[in-house]
Amino acid sequence: MDVYRKGAWMMITEHRNVIIIGGGPAGLAAACALYDKGVKDILILEREPRLGGILNQCIHDGFGLSRFGETLSGPEYAGRFIEAVRQRKIDYITECTVINLDNNKCVTAAAQDGLKKYQADAVILTMGCRERPRGGLAIPGDRPSGVFTAGVAQSYMNLHNTMVGKKAVILGSGDIGMIMARRLTLEGAKVEAVFEILPYPSGLPRNIEQCLNDYGIPLYLSHTVTRINGKARLSSVTVSEVGRDMKPIKGTEKEWPCDTLILSVGLIPENELSLQAGVVLDGRTKGAIVDENGMTSVPGIFAAGNVLHVHDLVDFVSLEAEKLAEGVSAYLQDAGEGNQKTCAIDIQTDETIGYTVPQKVSGKKDVTVSFRPKFPSQNRVFEVYQGDRLLTRKTVRKAIPAVMLHIDIPAEKFVSEETVRVVSHEE
Amino acid sequence: MQHFDIIIIGAGVVGSAAARELSRYKLKTGVLEKTPDVCCGTSARNSGVIHAGFNNKPGSKMARFCVEGNAGFDKIAGELDIPFRRTGKLVVGFSSDDKERLIAMKTQGEKNGVPGLKMVDKDFIRQIAPNVKGEFALWSGSTGICSPFEFTLAMAENAAANGTEFFFDSEVTDIRWDGKNYSITAGGKEFTSRWIVNCAGLGSDRISSMLGIDGYTIHPCKGEYFILDKKAGPLLPVPAYPVPNPKEGGLGIHLTPTIDGNILVGPSNEYLNDSDDYACEQDVMDMLIADGSRIFPHLKREYFIRNFAGIRPKLTTKEEGGYHDFVIERRAEAPHAVNLVGIESPGLTSSVPISKEIVRLIQEEEKLSLRDDFDPIRHRITTFADKSPEEQAGLIADDPDYGEIVCRCETITKAEVLAAIHNPLGVHTVTGIKYRCRAMMGRCQGGYCQTRIAELIMRETGCSREEIVYGKDDSWMFTGKVRG
Amino acid sequence: MKNRTFTCIICPNGCDIAVEYDDEGYFRCEGNLCPKGEKYVLNELTAPQRTISSSVVVDGGELPLASVRLNGPVPKDRIFDVMKEIRAIRLKAPVKAGTVLIKNIFGFDSDLIVTRNVEKKA
Repeated sequence: MDVYRKGAWMMITEHRNVIIIGGGPAGLAAACALYDKGVKDILILEREPRLGGILNQCIHDGFGLSRFGETLSGPEYAGRFIEAVRQRKIDYITECTVINLDNNKCVTAAAQDGLKKYQADAVILTMGCRERPRGGLAIPGDRPSGVFTAGVAQSYMNLHNTMVGKKAVILGSGDIGMIMARRLTLEGAKVEAVFEILPYPSGLPRNIEQCLNDYGIPLYLSHTVTRINGKARLSSVTVSEVGRDMKPIKGTEKEWPCDTLILSVGLIPENELSLQAGVVLDGRTKGAIVDENGMTSVPGIFAAGNVLHVHDLVDFVSLEAEKLAEGVSAYLQDAGEGNQKTCAIDIQTDETIGYTVPQKVSGKKDVTVSFRPKFPSQNRVFEVYQGDRLLTRKTVRKAIPAVMLHIDIPAEKFVSEETVRVVSHEE
Repeated sequence: MQHFDIIIIGAGVVGSAAARELSRYKLKTGVLEKTPDVCCGTSARNSGVIHAGFNNKPGSKMARFCVEGNAGFDKIAGELDIPFRRTGKLVVGFSSDDKERLIAMKTQGEKNGVPGLKMVDKDFIRQIAPNVKGEFALWSGSTGICSPFEFTLAMAENAAANGTEFFFDSEVTDIRWDGKNYSITAGGKEFTSRWIVNCAGLGSDRISSMLGIDGYTIHPCKGEYFILDKKAGPLLPVPAYPVPNPKEGGLGIHLTPTIDGNILVGPSNEYLNDSDDYACEQDVMDMLIADGSRIFPHLKREYFIRNFAGIRPKLTTKEEGGYHDFVIERRAEAPHAVNLVGIESPGLTSSVPISKEIVRLIQEEEKLSLRDDFDPIRHRITTFADKSPEEQAGLIADDPDYGEIVCRCETITKAEVLAAIHNPLGVHTVTGIKYRCRAMMGRCQGGYCQTRIAELIMRETGCSREEIVYGKDDSWMFTGKVRG
Repeated sequence: MKNRTFTCIICPNGCDIAVEYDDEGYFRCEGNLCPKGEKYVLNELTAPQRTISSSVVVDGGELPLASVRLNGPVPKDRIFDVMKEIRAIRLKAPVKAGTVLIKNIFGFDSDLIVTRNVEKKA
């Protein structure tokens, strides 16, 4: 149809110092910190009708212990940052979805009042992450209704006042899955069990305690759903034990009747826009490769929060985003002193460590490296080397993949332009 | 009790094509469909390939209708405003046996009147599809791809716009002939009709028996698929097939780009006892990847977004293998019925010529007169994602709902979702909306937009949470409200 | 002498705390990184306490629900009683975060508070 060919539409490009894509915890924290550093021409673009991102549906408490020294619910935690944005009169537009970003920091966004085009000096990517769906796991069986990812179920229950089922099984011991186990139970559903394919839980120990153990919900490790049954609505799932090779063991199948399957099987940083702009991603984090300033491979495009790597605590998301402000403002003020180039020294890991963020450093600044161990262990020593030289070390009493670790490297420790390595071993 | 001149049983691709073709004539036509939407069975669950016609026996209806259907596809795609691309297709071979078989297929195709067939070498394969393995191939220039759902839907919508009535959730349970009319019980309702056209696909043997025509048995044969992320799409510009095993009665595990930019891997060939078993099995899924990797070594796990299965309504048993020709007949036992049985591949490609054959068979008995107000043109929902920024700005200016992105993976706007909800056939299932606008079809599979689409369905149709249906009957989504 | 281990839920560290205790009041614990852990374990042994979060229905709001939570712990075995109270509440938009819906619920040092603003539907 020709409805859209009503003559040439003039698109006016608006110039902005900084465009922040995504008004969740990372975007809000970055905006406030930047503002406080003197960068005032900021615009936050948020696709939802309200700021706050995923925190809006995370009504449970436990947020903010390290950031605010008290335990808050998701909406309260977000509320503090939203209030800070409003106090500073930082511009934001809600119900405005960025549909294109190029490597020249030109942003195109769609909203009810028109297609918007911005030219930014710097862009901050804070789009967060999304859930891995059933298809990504390729679980055999039927395709009935009643299979939800944990976040979708959470949104239905907490934002849309919609109850998803009466008898549930949860696959994956991610934190959202466990939190939904408790939520469903409190609302009168029966949660039969949580199954985790790994030999250890994916979520935080406190959530196993207060979301599962408190309500008598069993957690089966080294188990996975091997079949989804039900032609119309889900009627049961088949669960099998898995061996060390993570493959189901024949003969261990057991059928669990249920009408709802909640999947909590991983989060994936949402980097479609980053890829459009040519940002290079890290195959391990599925987020951008960034340097100590949070800058991606495309100068002037920065990233923080779950779009960069999936965090277990929002407090760290805020912290990461706030730290970004320094790099962004340096980038904006300065030309020539290297602030407009991505740092050159790589950080690598050995096979005991999942990844690090940042992946690149300059060797000229104090830097905090975030990383995750690949498997649980006790009394583990983490060390940072440059060549043969030990830069710093840290012993962690209980290291688990669910908990992100941080290690500080003071600027004066760096000795060369050589690659930095993060390794670990038993004490 | 409603009376019709013609009742079509089944709203798959053949039933919908028949409905559209018959809507050219001065007839009152109704379509009875047992599921809640068009295209819920075999028609939606296939590779979406518009075949050239070299796989079918010379002189068969399959061969004739397939070649005819392929030749006419540009025209119908234009009338119905559906995307269609003549990609061409490679059937790749490795051994001298393969080569012989490919040459035989080429000869067979030429006998059938297939244009543009040629044997090509490795260099040609590398040029056309650098990621496809093969020593040599049969190249078919006329093969194309379309969305089988949109094709079926478009014909049904066009038929409806020209006066055909569709009845969903209306499974035919009884047919009686009184010498003049058929009385039909379907979905608890009663209908009468002068003619019946059996387009029931997997249920066509059952409907045949109800019509008094015995002797047909459909042997359901499942084909499972993987759908790959659009990220992988650019790796495969044309369909790539192995040399089929003629005994199997399938085309082998092949790789097909979809018209929307994904890749399909499949289908398997599993004979079933149950014609409603759409489950995917682990061993088959493993086999698809192993087999598909032989000709396309890019089947990485990170590309998997979904699995599905379709079922072929075959007239041949597993032991017999191969293909039985389409049955399209009028029989003395059922004087006012056109009976179609075993319309399997290449049924999608052949559907329009089949619909013309149905009209021809009815015309043997009675003269049908053309309407002068038949409108062959149907418009699809105006999409946003594929437009230029200027066009997008224009769309939003005309309808602000184009400025609200509901499905981020496929960039589907609220305007498109609303148009899908207010579809001409009045279908309100979640999968019905999904197929009509592609929202929830992307890599997050509705993780972001399903909640909002459910909300929009409730708002626009006034239904309650408990009434929302996912796809099939009884596939309820919600138990109600959390509070009050 | 009795032995038990607990996973502390007070903060995300989730310390595994091993406890030795008897009925006469002997108590020793190890594994906690901070004194809160000891307090948590003592509570668990005598009178376990929890907070909960949920939602209450809002009429005429931009959202159908307002999230709520207890700002202090209540005995674990009273959680479902609290849920009953929560279910019975019906608010009218606008609703302000921080509003106390039930002061000192069941007489405990814990209030049920609203945790988000819900504006009137436009």
